[in-house]
Amino acid sequence: MHWNGKDSTVYQAQKEFIDTAVIPLIQIDGSDEGFQFAASAADFTLSLANVIENQFKGRIVLFPSFSYTKSQDKQLVFKDWQEELNKASFKHIFYVTSDREWSTMGEEQNIIWIPSVPLDSMDQKMRNSVLEDQLRQLIPIFAKKWAN
Amino acid sequence: MSNNKVSRRQFLSYTLTGVGGFMAAGMLMPMVRFAVDPVLQKKEGGDFVLTEKKIADITEVPERVDFTFEQVDAWYKSDITNSAWVYKEGDEIIALSPVCKHLGCTVNWEADPAHKNQFFCPCHAGRYEKNGKNVPKTPPLGPLDQYEVRENDGFLEIGKAIPNTLV
Ligand code: FES
Repeated sequence: MHWNGKDSTVYQAQKEFIDTAVIPLIQIDGSDEGFQFAASAADFTLSLANVIENQFKGRIVLFPSFSYTKSQDKQLVFKDWQEELNKASFKHIFYVTSDREWSTMGEEQNIIWIPSVPLDSMDQKMRNSVLEDQLRQLIPIFAKKWAN
Repeated sequence: MSNNKVSRRQFLSYTLTGVGGFMAAGMLMPMVRFAVDPVLQKKEGGDFVLTEKKIADITEVPERVDFTFEQVDAWYKSDITNSAWVYKEGDEIIALSPVCKHLGCTVNWEADPAHKNQFFCPCHAGRYEKNGKNVPKTPPLGPLDQYEVRENDGFLEIGKAIPNTLV
């Protein structure tokens, strides 16, 4: 499901089955060195989030990405999201990111870190197949987290 | 107190403006569509999408075939990639939609080691037989949709989704 009006009606009615929130975490970098890399990583993460949504449509709600700058306190941000989404009674909350810094926050936080692949110069077909490949590796990760 | 009350005249004028707005929108929408539609209409036979799959390469084992088409959503054009599970049954080519009939996840062929020869939905463990028939006591309540198929110069073309004709 997407985070929109139509899908959220389905969510409200099927909470029992749609029990997982997915939030892409995107770093904004305005510096000369970082700008392009961050933009490309954002493209990758969001595209991947979309294929994840397509695969698990009936079990997840894909939220709009959370964008932050380097200096923001990650722990704090994290806590806020967690608190807010707990109100909606999601059983699982997964974060998808290609920013390595989150990956140091620990497994139990359900952060799925995927190093970004530069999709920029690829045509649609190539992009799709790269994303499909990544998705195939993610399916067991999701399945495992759901299982416990 | 009394200045909080809405007079009959005010009430009527509020509601009528609202209703009028809706009515205007209701009249306008079909008119806009009417004006725009012919340009956007697909050409004859444009309902089928050519895939890169050779008919000769299709086997009895369902295989995933992607197909991309352009979708025009109001003013926004985008390339949509869909996929189908394609296999041969005797001489016939079957293409099934991968969209789970429970809540719309994507099903995969033999994705659950415990159930060979079936489609599996990773979301809530829905299962389908090879012909798309939903396995009772799993969440899906109906069979997988089927796609119209045809051959074009040795390659597979996929058309629109139709209700499953095999079960
Ligand atoms: S969406 Fe496939 S089993 Fe629920």
